[in-house]
Amino acid sequence: MAETRGGRPIGSSQRPTGGDKAIVSNKRQFFRRRKVCKFCVDKIDHIDYKDVRLLSMFISERGKIIPRRLSGVCTPCQRRLSEAIKQARNIALLPFATRAVAAAGSHG
Amino acid sequence: MRIYEELFIIRPEATEEEIEAVNSQMAAAITSTGGMVDKVDKWGLRKLAYRLQKKSEGYYVLIQFQGGAETVKELERRLRVNDAVMKFLTVRIDEKLKWLERRRKAREKRAARRPQPPVAPAMPAQEVAAMPGAPVSREE
Repeated sequence: MAETRGGRPIGSSQRPTGGDKAIVSNKRQFFRRRKVCKFCVDKIDHIDYKDVRLLSMFISERGKIIPRRLSGVCTPCQRRLSEAIKQARNIALLPFATRAVAAAGSHG
Repeated sequence: MRIYEELFIIRPEATEEEIEAVNSQMAAAITSTGGMVDKVDKWGLRKLAYRLQKKSEGYYVLIQFQGGAETVKELERRLRVNDAVMKFLTVRIDEKLKWLERRRKAREKRAARRPQPPVAPAMPAQEVAAMPGAPVSREE
């Protein structure tokens, strides 16, 4: 992938952004550490909808559920987690959404 | 008989007596339909994650009880009718408890099968720390 992009300027002009992204992701591999499921590691069987402190670790600032690909939670745990978050939202323990802080563009 | 958990929010301006009245009313609803109240946990005034009926606070009460479908039906009807109650959530937990018990046993069995793994000698100690019935965090 990197060879074709570096060797041929024509190819890079066709997809300049894609090439940039590839570089960024290559750099990221440097400090990426292995993701592990917190619930499996800490042996938390019961993901309780009442445990706000635990659940709030898995929602973004806007109140969205953080995807597995970012948090590293395993599939069964994520299923239970999202269930718990939705229950907590229902009873106003967690927000459905929080308002954007200021003008647009803050989402980076 | 099934085990349920009922979490509901009472208006923040309700007095202590009003809250007690609601609680005893709900307990009566459970017992009158053949149910049984296991425990009542008053969380107290807590900030809501979003505004409910133009209020940003609420008094949370958690009731764990046993009962059938009739009990839940009657309890939810009473909660809906009561003006002091802003919102409620019923969760059936008996199957969850059963599942947790099974899982805990399996984990113990696994731990017993390999008593002292040379790789991680501190393993059994960590298992005790992670209890399933973790206490509810109550900030504010």
